[in-house]
Amino acid sequence: MVIEDQNKEIEQLIRDVARKLLKEKEVDVILGYTKGTIPLTSLPIVIDKVEDVDKLIWNNLCYINLAKYLVPRIPTLMNEEGQKLKVGIVSKGCVGRALIHLSVEHQIDLENIKIIGIPCNGIINRKKIEDEIGEKEIFEISISGDNIVVKGEDVEQTLPFNEYMNELCKTCQVKSPPSLEGICVGECLENPIIEDDFSDLADFDSKTPEEKWEYIKSLLDTCTRCYACREVCPMCYCNLCFVDQNQPVWFGKTTAYSDIFTFHLIRAMHMAGRCVGCGACSSVCPIGIDLNLINRSLEKIAKERFNFTSGIDPETLHPMMAFDMEDEQEFMMEED
Amino acid sequence: MEQKILKKDQIVKLYNHIVKDYNFYAPIKEKRNITFKKITNPEDIVLDYYNSKVPPKEIIFPQTDILFEYKINGKEIEIEEPKNLEEKNIIFGIRPCDAHSFVLLANFFSQGEFNDEIIMKRRENTTLIGIGCNTPKSTCFCTSVDGNPFQKEDMDIFLVDLQDKYLVEGITNKGKDLIKQFSWLANATESDLKEAQKLKKHAEDAIVTKLELKDIDKILDPNFEHPVWKEASEICIGCGTCSFLCPTCTCFDVIDENVPNENRGRRVRIWDTCQSCLYTLHTSGHNPRNSCIERVRNRILHKFCYYPKNYGMLGCVGCGRCVQLCPANNDLRVIIEKIMEIKPKKEEKITV
Repeated sequence: MVIEDQNKEIEQLIRDVARKLLKEKEVDVILGYTKGTIPLTSLPIVIDKVEDVDKLIWNNLCYINLAKYLVPRIPTLMNEEGQKLKVGIVSKGCVGRALIHLSVEHQIDLENIKIIGIPCNGIINRKKIEDEIGEKEIFEISISGDNIVVKGEDVEQTLPFNEYMNELCKTCQVKSPPSLEGICVGECLENPIIEDDFSDLADFDSKTPEEKWEYIKSLLDTCTRCYACREVCPMCYCNLCFVDQNQPVWFGKTTAYSDIFTFHLIRAMHMAGRCVGCGACSSVCPIGIDLNLINRSLEKIAKERFNFTSGIDPETLHPMMAFDMEDEQEFMMEED
Repeated sequence: MEQKILKKDQIVKLYNHIVKDYNFYAPIKEKRNITFKKITNPEDIVLDYYNSKVPPKEIIFPQTDILFEYKINGKEIEIEEPKNLEEKNIIFGIRPCDAHSFVLLANFFSQGEFNDEIIMKRRENTTLIGIGCNTPKSTCFCTSVDGNPFQKEDMDIFLVDLQDKYLVEGITNKGKDLIKQFSWLANATESDLKEAQKLKKHAEDAIVTKLELKDIDKILDPNFEHPVWKEASEICIGCGTCSFLCPTCTCFDVIDENVPNENRGRRVRIWDTCQSCLYTLHTSGHNPRNSCIERVRNRILHKFCYYPKNYGMLGCVGCGRCVQLCPANNDLRVIIEKIMEIKPKKEEKITV
């Protein structure tokens, strides 16, 4: 089936499930996506009325990971008495993974959530499209068959979807949320088995440490420290981020390279075995910094060393949370 | 004063002339973004652009600004003042909205008895050579905030892009004096002026975003507790994109950095944002703006209520950067529309 038709089916699935959940009062609100106010975006939306269900859409630009709206940091989904609302959340695979992982970390209670599983067919790489079109304003973007049609000022281009998809989506193996009994509605994935050869990292891994350093340096040096990457990340829910600690100040706050680097690399450390690979951080960066390679490398390490993939099983603690006597620790033990 | 013509292939000549006395800033493409940078090679200058992603305010108000450095030697303290303040800058290619933001910045940094010497010195030493916007973006709304795609009053020299050449007009004395140095500039013809008029009209018509902002400060003032703020902040993720890329945002933090065991350090000013939790966090741990609701409200009130009240002008120049780049697409235009829909409160009857 072509992408265009898949989208229609996914959209229909979202609306059907959302309507049923609201009608049967299984949830108070539905968290989903609606059409954005400018091209190349979608807009997260919270609806609580059956009449509004048709506002929900699916358009391959739903790059925000909606799980973010359920972690404690943004306390918006409460009723007037301050009670937590029961939420039905439109979930592509990585949203489902984020929810499961957050429940492992005791940040959300899955009992209050209905995961509306959808078979995600990939998210458009906004930055790649912008780079392709150049300094011209894009007026409209749509999917036709298996292509992305971009209309803009003196320009109309047809780009193949599978090339202009996020790199992470190309390797994604969890397109629907892993199934959880009584919590997942819609289309979910039974017993996902992750077999990833990380071939997309082959090029980066073959680089020398110096070359990797140069790459990361040139990647990060335009960062403005707006922290959009952190704020959009469902795994960044700390009340006070390490970089914001000011009693005492732990890390430099300037845009000097060493300070920017410290922020990104320490944040990356905190993501090891936790990142669910949604790619939202790279999608939203206003400057266009692509953190995916760093995140994929972390995923690879967690997989290779601990045979762990985040957000698959709510019963398994992740490597950062668990201690096992059998864990390899050659990096901290001196060899004889 | 007579208007002149600068051919686009003469930009290198202009650069070579100016660069002897000035730092020449102009738009270049750095990685994937248009940005105003100090030019070392005039071939790098990009002339076909909408606007920079990071506003040119960073030239006079850098994100990281060293206020002074110090060294302690026994009882002696040696202070090193910031360098380069006397250097003269030209910002070539600044857009009318950003040029207007320089008025707001100067206003803020010289308010009342407090004069920020560092920023004001830089502003004084900066000459703006701006270019009108022939093709505003659909997210531009300068005409709604007392601006215009061809507004020239905030610049020293104003250029109109006539395809292969620019129409050059000196606005301030500073600008006029500078133009006098370029005796090689040709005179503009009647048809050039006509063409410029046509482009101006065309650009104004091309602005599709029209915001009704009449008396917005009076609507906002009594509605501090209105439910609109919960609505406007529902999807905000709480990052600083809107304020860091805003040409009129002026908030900063001042930090002291000491080099351990070396008896030296520096005081640095960095950009801050009212969207960050640290912005209002008290030492006690209490935070009067504890969620996105209060923070989004503050951002809107500051630009559309406090600015008109305190300075008699709006705190927004309509560049549309926050609209284009908000990660969650929390569109300022939509928020404004919601605010303007608030019905004026009926006078409450007091019954005894």
